[in-house]
Amino acid sequence: MAEQFQASARRWLYTTNHKDIGILYIITSLFLFAAAGVLAITMRTQLSTPDNSILNANVYNQFVTVHGLLMIFWVLSPLAFGFANFIIPLEIGCRDLAFPRLNSMSYWFFLFSGVMMILSFFFGAAPDLGWTLYSPQTAAQFSPSIGLNLGAGALILMVVSITMSSINFLVTMFKMRAPGLKLRYMSVFPWAILVTIFMMLYAFPSFLAAVVLLYVDRAFGTVYFSSIQGGSLLWDNVFWFFGHPEVYIVLFPAIGVIADIIPTFARRPLYGSKYVIGALIAAALISFVVWGHHMFVTGIGIASTKLYTVTTIAVSLPFDVIVISLIETLGFAKLRLKAPALFALGAVANFIVGGITGVFLASVALDYALRGTYFVVAHFHYIMVGASIIGLIAGLYYWFPKITGRMYDEKMAKVHFVLSMIGFQILYFPMFLLLDMPRRIVTYSPQTDWGLLNLTATLGGFIFGGAQLLLFYNLYRSSRVGPPSGPNPWDAWTLEWALPSPPPPHDFDVIPTFSTDGTIRFGSSAGLPNGSDHSKEIGYPNGSSIGSNSSLHLEGLSPWPILMAFAAFIFFLGLTIGKPANPQPVSYEPFWPLIADGVILGVISLFGYSREKFTVHEDVHVESWPFKQVPNMKLGIWTFLGAEVIFFGVLIGSYFFVRTNDAAWPPAGTLFEIRNGFAMTLVLLTSSLTAIMALASARAGNRSGLIASLGGTLVLGAAFLYIKAGEWFSLGSSGIFQNYSLPATSYFITTGTHGVHVFAGMCMTVYLLANAIKGKYVNGDQTTLEHFGLYWHFVDIVWVFLFPLFYLI
Amino acid sequence: MAVSSTQVQFDSLFGLFTYLAIAVSIFVFSLLIYFTVKYREKPSSRQPDDTPILGKVPPSRGHARSVVLTVSLSTIILVALIVGSFGAIDNILTPPQHVCQGCAIEVIAHQFYWEFKYDNGTKPYDTRDILRVPVEQNIRLNVTSADVFHDFGIIGYDIKTDAIPGRTNTIWFYPHATGNFTIQCFELCGVGHYTMIGHLMVLAQLDYFAWYNSTVVH
Amino acid sequence: MNTNYLYLLVFAALIGETDVEVNLRSIFQAENVFVTVLLGIAGTKAILIAMYYQHLRYEPKSLSTWVIIGLVIASLLMGLSFVQLHVGHP
Repeated sequence: MAEQFQASARRWLYTTNHKDIGILYIITSLFLFAAAGVLAITMRTQLSTPDNSILNANVYNQFVTVHGLLMIFWVLSPLAFGFANFIIPLEIGCRDLAFPRLNSMSYWFFLFSGVMMILSFFFGAAPDLGWTLYSPQTAAQFSPSIGLNLGAGALILMVVSITMSSINFLVTMFKMRAPGLKLRYMSVFPWAILVTIFMMLYAFPSFLAAVVLLYVDRAFGTVYFSSIQGGSLLWDNVFWFFGHPEVYIVLFPAIGVIADIIPTFARRPLYGSKYVIGALIAAALISFVVWGHHMFVTGIGIASTKLYTVTTIAVSLPFDVIVISLIETLGFAKLRLKAPALFALGAVANFIVGGITGVFLASVALDYALRGTYFVVAHFHYIMVGASIIGLIAGLYYWFPKITGRMYDEKMAKVHFVLSMIGFQILYFPMFLLLDMPRRIVTYSPQTDWGLLNLTATLGGFIFGGAQLLLFYNLYRSSRVGPPSGPNPWDAWTLEWALPSPPPPHDFDVIPTFSTDGTIRFGSSAGLPNGSDHSKEIGYPNGSSIGSNSSLHLEGLSPWPILMAFAAFIFFLGLTIGKPANPQPVSYEPFWPLIADGVILGVISLFGYSREKFTVHEDVHVESWPFKQVPNMKLGIWTFLGAEVIFFGVLIGSYFFVRTNDAAWPPAGTLFEIRNGFAMTLVLLTSSLTAIMALASARAGNRSGLIASLGGTLVLGAAFLYIKAGEWFSLGSSGIFQNYSLPATSYFITTGTHGVHVFAGMCMTVYLLANAIKGKYVNGDQTTLEHFGLYWHFVDIVWVFLFPLFYLI
Repeated sequence: MAVSSTQVQFDSLFGLFTYLAIAVSIFVFSLLIYFTVKYREKPSSRQPDDTPILGKVPPSRGHARSVVLTVSLSTIILVALIVGSFGAIDNILTPPQHVCQGCAIEVIAHQFYWEFKYDNGTKPYDTRDILRVPVEQNIRLNVTSADVFHDFGIIGYDIKTDAIPGRTNTIWFYPHATGNFTIQCFELCGVGHYTMIGHLMVLAQLDYFAWYNSTVVH
Repeated sequence: MNTNYLYLLVFAALIGETDVEVNLRSIFQAENVFVTVLLGIAGTKAILIAMYYQHLRYEPKSLSTWVIIGLVIASLLMGLSFVQLHVGHP
């Protein structure tokens, strides 16, 4: 019994299997859905009558903020990616993601980030300025409590989790598809996930930059968000540049689920599937140029408001195509109205209302009346709850048999549907009529006429919230005693339904193959290119020397992901938990014991991770257009660098923003010594030369050349940091912050972040040097050297821009 | 009943959007409900020939025609909405050049009250949270903030603008009728956000100028 | 040509361009022209490093496309915020 528990605990804590990780994401997000829902129902109760006093303003503001943050970051996306983790490898015919331990790390970073967010309630205060965290009210001087610091730490951990997942899924979906599975044969759910991942990759680094800048402003007294030149508009731009793609990120997976469920239950193919996919891509692209509609009344000028009105109204066009295609799919169909189909159609209905009201808000002229009112709240809840949550619930019922092997109770699910839909309309429709009522107010006067509509909405909230108890009960009970479902209870065509329910740990015995006429072969040797020996396709699971017990599920275990995540968690906790030290200016004392523990554990975990012999099985015959000649790891590194481009782009963009907004910026040469910058540039450029020479030496078998080059890179990196440290020291002691706080802010933050990247590179160089001395790379595999080079040259490229921007202009 | 120029313009544009929204909704919902009811599984339903089955990628289905039609019809509607919006925003963002003496007022948002500054130097405590304006005159407001990001909105006037420290945003309106209206803050600015309630008092011109002249600061 | 020689040639170009950057101010006085040329030179240095040190010149086109997408999106934020601040104000 104890042994079983221990084996079970080891399995769930150390798993790298995509199906296990999918289940972990789903269960965690459902739990947080309930938690955030409790926050919501409490707020609704408070708002049901005027001048109510169940919650005071302080608590209410924390509730509304954490409700938003939890739902957006810790429920909607993780639930969708729980499905993506379980289902996507099955649907594209591979056995796991490209980087299974990275996948596990993503989950544990996500979990600890959620713990940190919730912990903030217990450390005095949770963040309390809305999930949108507008400046300058989030500055330390206006919000001295540590709630926002903890929130920032939680968000940083969460973005790290998401970036790791983005890289993993992109490499997997491009490089590990089953033979013959061209991108255009994929059904809409994988496409929706792929498009979502692209948006995540390019949007989240902007959010990361924003949160890091906010944290640095609060903890170190920089002034990006508290200055007039930066302040509200800088945050608005950097946040919403991320924020708008983000709302599509939480919507698209649900659209993908709906677009696969409806054809399955209609017994006909999706109408215009290639146009639906095209529409998703178009909407994702346009989503990056509409963010200004969140800034319509900030005073950005008439040209910009007109531009954003046009782009935002235009983005409704792809969604029109999607909705019409979904409806046309039902034509001449044989529609089985089981729970997944009911929820999918319900989601479409809600999406129509949500989408149309979005067009109202896209008009800058109407926004001058509707901004900051409950009309907005109604619009986005119709989309995020009505389309996204309802669509993901459809996915829950749809894939429940595949994941658990059992069927849920159909009658209870239908009752759940009716109550949810009715409750939903009663909860949110009245809010459209409350278009004079401000958002985020804890109470309102009895002299307004808002009482009745609020009471109605609260009633709807109880019905909707209560209905979800049916969901939890149904799934919980059915997972224990539901009737066996068999492999394909819905008679669907996507690959996951060819496997047993639940699938075995290694998924496919034999990877299916697609031929050009669209036929899919399972387990047969016909149709493989070059008539190769099919027995090579019989898979073995990813292996680690830990847990080689052959009993179910104990292959592929690794303890390092959870340890790394825990290390990061306590590191950030230490950084953000310190109580306010001085009142004026506000500063925070970091909690050094936790920080030190985090660093130590992190170094140990990194070491363990890199030494662990973890083999990832890579099938030889895969579809990998357009990256056929690019190895998985290299594609992963370039993808990571793509995210870094956005991250540094936002840092540099922030500098541009405040500088062009400030007439009194000191000219070149007054603050920063050009010759320092020149020296650092020469040093770093030379280090790029030595880095590439190291790779060349290794390839030529020249061991001493390799060691000399790597040593040179290390010395030059140290020289760079030495000059920089000297410069920082002299600037700091000259009192630059008092007289030139904004130039100091942009300089210290941008070069500081760059410096951290240089330092990380130097740590990698030490590791490579140690290996080189032991004789590695020269006669063997140089890919690690090559990958280091890619990173190092990128860091150099960033400096190539920083030098003129800070020293010469 | 016309309350103000901004309300009239909003009602007209919002009305256009609403009529089109209802028309489009009726059309799309009818389609959705009709198809769902008509093609639901019944004993008499025939099995479609192109049912997706395991082992074959589903055949392609659908015409580009449908996309073209959807996009064209939608574009026509959307262009109408854009044109209407552009006309309205041109109006909102071009305040009148000249307003009467006492009709240009500075609004300064604070945590957690509204300060109104008149051009005759009226003392702040005379106006805290109370904005007096004359009826049937163009009124121009320059809105800013003394501390954090607020939003100044007049309920019933369908007009608001952000109050951002270091920036001034200008809005204007022409009140058609006297009356009292509520001013509230529409951007979460701290614990006192919900208490930032002010009052717009639209006075008859005689009453307004009597008050205005009596508060001149010498 | 021998790759080591190529790397040295690129290095020489990078150093030379840096020297030009430092002395550019004496050639172009007009602020906008100066900034544009300066950042243009920085851009060519970045391209050299990417093409030859990061090997992009010899990689499949798909990889360079991958990189360019990221750059385009990063420039959207900067470009459109610049428009916001400086275009169309009364």
